[in-house]
Amino acid sequence: MASQDVLLKVENLTTSFKTDEDQITVLDDISFNLLHGESLGIVGESGCGKSVTALSIMRLLPKPAGQVEKGFITYKGDDILTLTTKQMHTIRGKKIAMIFQEPMTALNPVHRIGKQLGEIYQIHFPDMSEEDSRTAQIDILNKVGIPAPEKRLREYPHQLSGGMRQRVMIAMALSCKPDILIADEPTTALDVTTQNQILNLMRELQREIKMSIIFITHDLGVIAEMCDRVLVMYAGKIVEQASVNELFASPRHPYTKGLLDSIPRLDTPSKSRLEVIEGLVPNLKNIPKGCRFRTRCDFEIEQCGVTDPVVEAISEDSSRTVACIRWKELSK
Amino acid sequence: MTAYFIRRFLLIIPTFLGITILVFTVTRMVPGGPIERMLTEAQMASGDQVSFQSNNQGIAGSTLSESQLNQLKEYYGFDKPVLESYGIWLKNILLLDLGYSTRYGEPVWESIKQRLPISIYYGFMTMLLTYVVCIPLGILKAIKHKTPIDNISSILVFIGYAIPGYVAGIIVITIFAFYLEWFPLSGFTSNNFDELTFFGKIGDIIHHSVLPLIAYMSGGFAVMTFLMKNSLMDNLAADYVRTAMAKGLEFKTAVVKHAFRNSIIPIATNFGENITIFLAGSFLIEKIFNIDGFGLLGYESLVERDYPVVMGILVIGSLLSLIGNILSDITVALVDPRVRFGG
Repeated sequence: MASQDVLLKVENLTTSFKTDEDQITVLDDISFNLLHGESLGIVGESGCGKSVTALSIMRLLPKPAGQVEKGFITYKGDDILTLTTKQMHTIRGKKIAMIFQEPMTALNPVHRIGKQLGEIYQIHFPDMSEEDSRTAQIDILNKVGIPAPEKRLREYPHQLSGGMRQRVMIAMALSCKPDILIADEPTTALDVTTQNQILNLMRELQREIKMSIIFITHDLGVIAEMCDRVLVMYAGKIVEQASVNELFASPRHPYTKGLLDSIPRLDTPSKSRLEVIEGLVPNLKNIPKGCRFRTRCDFEIEQCGVTDPVVEAISEDSSRTVACIRWKELSK
Repeated sequence: MTAYFIRRFLLIIPTFLGITILVFTVTRMVPGGPIERMLTEAQMASGDQVSFQSNNQGIAGSTLSESQLNQLKEYYGFDKPVLESYGIWLKNILLLDLGYSTRYGEPVWESIKQRLPISIYYGFMTMLLTYVVCIPLGILKAIKHKTPIDNISSILVFIGYAIPGYVAGIIVITIFAFYLEWFPLSGFTSNNFDELTFFGKIGDIIHHSVLPLIAYMSGGFAVMTFLMKNSLMDNLAADYVRTAMAKGLEFKTAVVKHAFRNSIIPIATNFGENITIFLAGSFLIEKIFNIDGFGLLGYESLVERDYPVVMGILVIGSLLSLIGNILSDITVALVDPRVRFGG
């Protein structure tokens, strides 16, 4: 893997949130690469820091509580974290776009679709004429599979179904043909059939625009369908990093194993008990010392509570990593 | 939606009838009234020493003969059953005749008309200043949440909210009119008002109205300022504002174009009630500043049992608030495309 293929490089990213009493580290020393044209999945339970990773990259952390403490996010040679607000406005929406979880609330209820879609062209192509913008809007709505786009442009979000709204969100995100699309649980709020349509659409558009996607989800099924590589996050740390095939074939971290075991499968007898990971995600205010997963891990030994597991590269090109001191003996 | 509003307008009729029947009946049932008041005055005038124990005794021992009394009753319409005289009153109302004040003998409309300019002026100024102050202040407080500006203005607004308007009135009169003599003590205009130039007149009215306006409004800022602040803060945290930012919009633009528009919806819900500014007025504040407005008129006519005036104010007041409610609905439908009345 040559380094010029890296489109976005996240190094030692640490993000914290201030509450009234204290400061909580939500992302702890996270590093990963996003390659050109790839789909990178980020998977983990609620509250493990998936969305915060996305918002840190977009620099859209809720102000003033959220704050990147240290680290670099390098995009095309520039550290995003040191860009001026003005420079950031030219990247957001144009180079790095994002779609959100809740299509029901992510669109402004009082503006017509056409206005919300046209706004992007206004921001990033201020010289574009009214008609060109309209043609582009109709074009992109066609592309995301919205029937009768001319009519939809005049409608308000509440007149559209959830799936349609998510298509509009995708249209908005893709209208500038971004390099990177960050999709934060884009299908979680949709029913399964719509979910499938949206995933297919995203895959198609990715091929067409040749963009990279960061796909955030808690659904390993979606990961299997959509992604080339996966990051598994737990309590603000990346515990395992692997290609999709490797991850599903030979998970290394006990947490990943637990996640895979807790997927209902068609080939197990019906009515058999579904495996679960016992316990709860640790409260980020008092994270257990050592490995964060050890309180729920079946393979905990004394050593786990003593040292933080380091992120170990376990493949030659260092694209596969795991953070568990026992991974070697456990994979035997 | 048109059908909805037509139905709302038609519903004004039964509501209006209900309100007026109720109050009309009450005015007939409570003791005291124009005749008793007249008798008292007549007795005072004739120096009669007979003291009143009750109204009935008063009539019995009055200087007026039975036939004179009946004549008076007929004159005021008290000789007929309640519903019948209500019918007559209603017919007159439909002919835009509010009747005659029993106190002054002049048409009720005349009494009301005299107060109208004063009340409209104060009502309009209060409305205008409330919106002009509260909306920007609410926006500022939302954006500067938990900063010194926000905290200090909260304290001021709540002090104003905690002090009743008439107390605030007395305080400002004492300080600014009595000790500092910056503003006149009372009244709506100066004595030489008619000799002033056009701009002089405007200046004179403003000069007279600063202190009463402070008294009127000191408590009114809190509700709307905090409504605006909280509503905008809710919307600043809304997903669609994040979407707008993710599109590349600047924060300021996202606030103005996306969050603000949504956060005025709760404020629009009572916009229509502003129509009642025609009858604005607080009796206590008007009393303190010696302003001859609606508050004072309403209070005095109640005390003096001047029922035609009471009913006249009621007619105008209830009609205005009924229409105001519908206006609010229309405003909400205008600012929020999701609202569709019907069904």
